[in-house]
Amino acid sequence: MDIELSSEDLAFTKEVRAFFEENEMAKGEDYFVWRNNWFAKAKEKGGWDVPKWPAKFGGPGWTPTQHYIWEQETAKANIPFDIPFGLGMLAPILMGYGNEEQQERFLPAIRERTVNWCQGYSESGAGSDLANLKTKAVLSEDGTYYTVNGSKMWTTLAHVADWIFCLTRTDDSGIKQKGITFLLFPMKQEGIEVKPIITLGGSHTVNTVHFTDVKVPVENRIGEEGKGWTYAKGLLEHERTGLAGLSKSLFELEKLKDQARTVTRGNGNLMDDSGYKAKIAELEIDLMATEYTELRSLASAAAGGKLGPESSILKLKGTEIKQRIQKLTVEASGIYSPAWGDKNIGLPFAKGGTAGYLNSRYFTIYGGASEVQKDVVAKKVLGLTKGSSK
Amino acid sequence: MNFELSEEQKMIQQSVERFVQDNYDLNTRISLSANDFGYSSDFWKSMAELGWLGLPFDESDGGFGGNQIDVLVIMEQFGKGLVLEPFLASVVMGGGALKKGASESLKNEILPGLIEGTKQLSFAYAEQQSRFDLEDVITSARKEGDGFILNGQKSMVQNAETADHIIVAARTSGGQIDEDGITLFLIDTNSEGLSMDNFPTVDGLRASEIILENVSVSEDRVIGNIDEGFEILQSVANDAILALSAEAVGAMEVLYKDTVEYTQQREQFDHPMSEFQVLQHRMVDMFMEYEQCKSMLYRATMESVQDPKAAQRTIHGLKHLIGKSGLFVGENAVQLHGGMGVTEELRVGHFFKRLLVIDSMFGNADHHLQKFTTY
Ligand SMILES: Cc1cc2nc3c(=O)[nH]c(=O)nc-3n(C[C@H](O)[C@H](O)[C@H](O)COP(=O)(O)OP(=O)(O)OC[C@H]3O[C@@H](n4cnc5c(N)ncnc54)[C@H](O)[C@@H]3O)c2cc1C
Repeated sequence: MDIELSSEDLAFTKEVRAFFEENEMAKGEDYFVWRNNWFAKAKEKGGWDVPKWPAKFGGPGWTPTQHYIWEQETAKANIPFDIPFGLGMLAPILMGYGNEEQQERFLPAIRERTVNWCQGYSESGAGSDLANLKTKAVLSEDGTYYTVNGSKMWTTLAHVADWIFCLTRTDDSGIKQKGITFLLFPMKQEGIEVKPIITLGGSHTVNTVHFTDVKVPVENRIGEEGKGWTYAKGLLEHERTGLAGLSKSLFELEKLKDQARTVTRGNGNLMDDSGYKAKIAELEIDLMATEYTELRSLASAAAGGKLGPESSILKLKGTEIKQRIQKLTVEASGIYSPAWGDKNIGLPFAKGGTAGYLNSRYFTIYGGASEVQKDVVAKKVLGLTKGSSK
Repeated sequence: MNFELSEEQKMIQQSVERFVQDNYDLNTRISLSANDFGYSSDFWKSMAELGWLGLPFDESDGGFGGNQIDVLVIMEQFGKGLVLEPFLASVVMGGGALKKGASESLKNEILPGLIEGTKQLSFAYAEQQSRFDLEDVITSARKEGDGFILNGQKSMVQNAETADHIIVAARTSGGQIDEDGITLFLIDTNSEGLSMDNFPTVDGLRASEIILENVSVSEDRVIGNIDEGFEILQSVANDAILALSAEAVGAMEVLYKDTVEYTQQREQFDHPMSEFQVLQHRMVDMFMEYEQCKSMLYRATMESVQDPKAAQRTIHGLKHLIGKSGLFVGENAVQLHGGMGVTEELRVGHFFKRLLVIDSMFGNADHHLQKFTTY
């Protein structure tokens, strides 16, 4: 055991920082121009535009420590915003289960960020019990295309997506997990209707998506018919480890402390308040421990072993920490936390803090609700007998 | 010891309950919240006709001689529909301040209209720097001739937009955080030098930032004694805490019951979700928090009726519990509803947001915990 970073790692840290500095957005620069340049330059560095992709597919092939350093640095830096669906969720599936032709067809546009993807898994009756999904796909008699009918719910960014990766039911004669087929198809076509769902923070990010006789060529099926569940489950694991967001939380926590220091409290500020300070401290301690839980899990993965049992608690802990940061932001806003609407009232961070708190409530719902996650840990890690979810 | 409501109180409870049931479904509330006033002036009129607006005032002032228990009865039912009408700001806070401190002539001038529903009040106490400390007042009132000149700023003022008069806490002497030296003034909203910036709050209500620039007010508009306004301010805040807590208890009841019902209806993994033991236990926790809040509410209210000063510590305890438990119940109602819980479509999210706002009013859970320890 050794906490010291090697000289290579220290050099890498410097290199990453230098890259971020060199490519900072200039004043008045167009966002999209900057973004495209940024990713082009990152690509030239040797796959820095797709840090998590394996070297075989053009990724940088970093060590776990390098990934960790990257995470930490990106949390602090101002870099272009990425939507995870194509890059982080579909790409690993394509790499693992797609055929070569599909990889060549879809991966480049994902990498160039020219095609936006959305994830069509959940339905009104298929939430935690995802295998309960009912959206039907029927293979044509000549075996060349599927006809898709049904509805998806909660589809994030479906209203701006070009393509959807979608779980459909091709067979309902056996157990639910069998007979699920993984299809890819364009969103902008007849027979697809997208309707907004407005969430608590007042924003529109999720949707219901209805399919009426949508035709999907068989070439757009990933792997075999009826095996979609296996593919999707691999992907869900990816989604879950990515949801912990610890580096971001470390950064957010520091930001929160700075904000709290701007809040007057008698002769001092909120960070002089013993009650508030204690809550921040408790949170920080939890975050410190979780950071090392993540490192331990990365290390065991790097040593070639499977992800250790500790990795199963990362999503649970990470999302809880994110929620607590948001809640403490609301507390820092004090009397101004209710302020809403277009104006900025009282404290500059108040409105964003309240919206952030409300939105943070879904961190423990999507990507495996916490109760169901714990069920999985109980069964798979502690070896306890059958829980209530399968 | 007796926890029974009187016959009259039971009747009021039933009539408020019916009013909320008949008029305050989610969609009505959403559309009322978006109209010009942010509530229904027709409902306000009905509330006046039903006598609710006069309930806490003395009979000699045209009221019905009620007390904090009557307010509790109304507010708890209001909490089940998240009623938008400014009962708290106008009657409990504004009217309460007059009842506690105003001269007979001031009461005679304002209270009849307030009780009939033709006049509205607002109460401005918080300031940018004050956070939750009632005594932290910078807004100044300078003596000039037979009146005062007010300068300063007031924050998060409820019901200022539709009020005829605003009661403003201003400093007539002493330092920024001295309890002594605060005076309450009744100011017309259309006074020269008074401007307001109105905005919505996250719970569907409204608030205003108010700026006072050389607003002149005559000495006969002072409520209570000069320099001695803090006691009234504190007492109004205490009544408001009791009222808000009653509203919160009503809201928590809706949340835990809606959650029980939802989990019974929704199936996942081929079972009603209500069969999953973790969810059962969570709902039991929600129910326990609700019951505990209700007990603390009764305790603080009954103590206040008996001896308001001696009740101070219990009131701190109450607001602490309401803040903490309210968010616990709200967060878990959302959690157990899954994705549906975070949409604007179901009412749980709206009730959760109201509980979030209630925690921020008159001191949050932390603030009152600290106050509690100082006794
Ligand atoms: C903001 C947001 C964005 C989303 N984006 C997408 C997206 O892009 N694509 C997509 O496909 N889906 C998306 N989802 C859907 C998300 O994956 C589901 O919300 C999630 O799977 C939970 O399902 P549900 O909402 O139906 O809740 P339910 O499954 O109904 O669960 C409700 C509650 O019951 C609990 N529960 C359920 N089963 C059990 C059990 N067996 N034991 C104990 N407790 C249990 C849960 O923990 C939860 O607290 C999104 C959701 C949200 C809120």
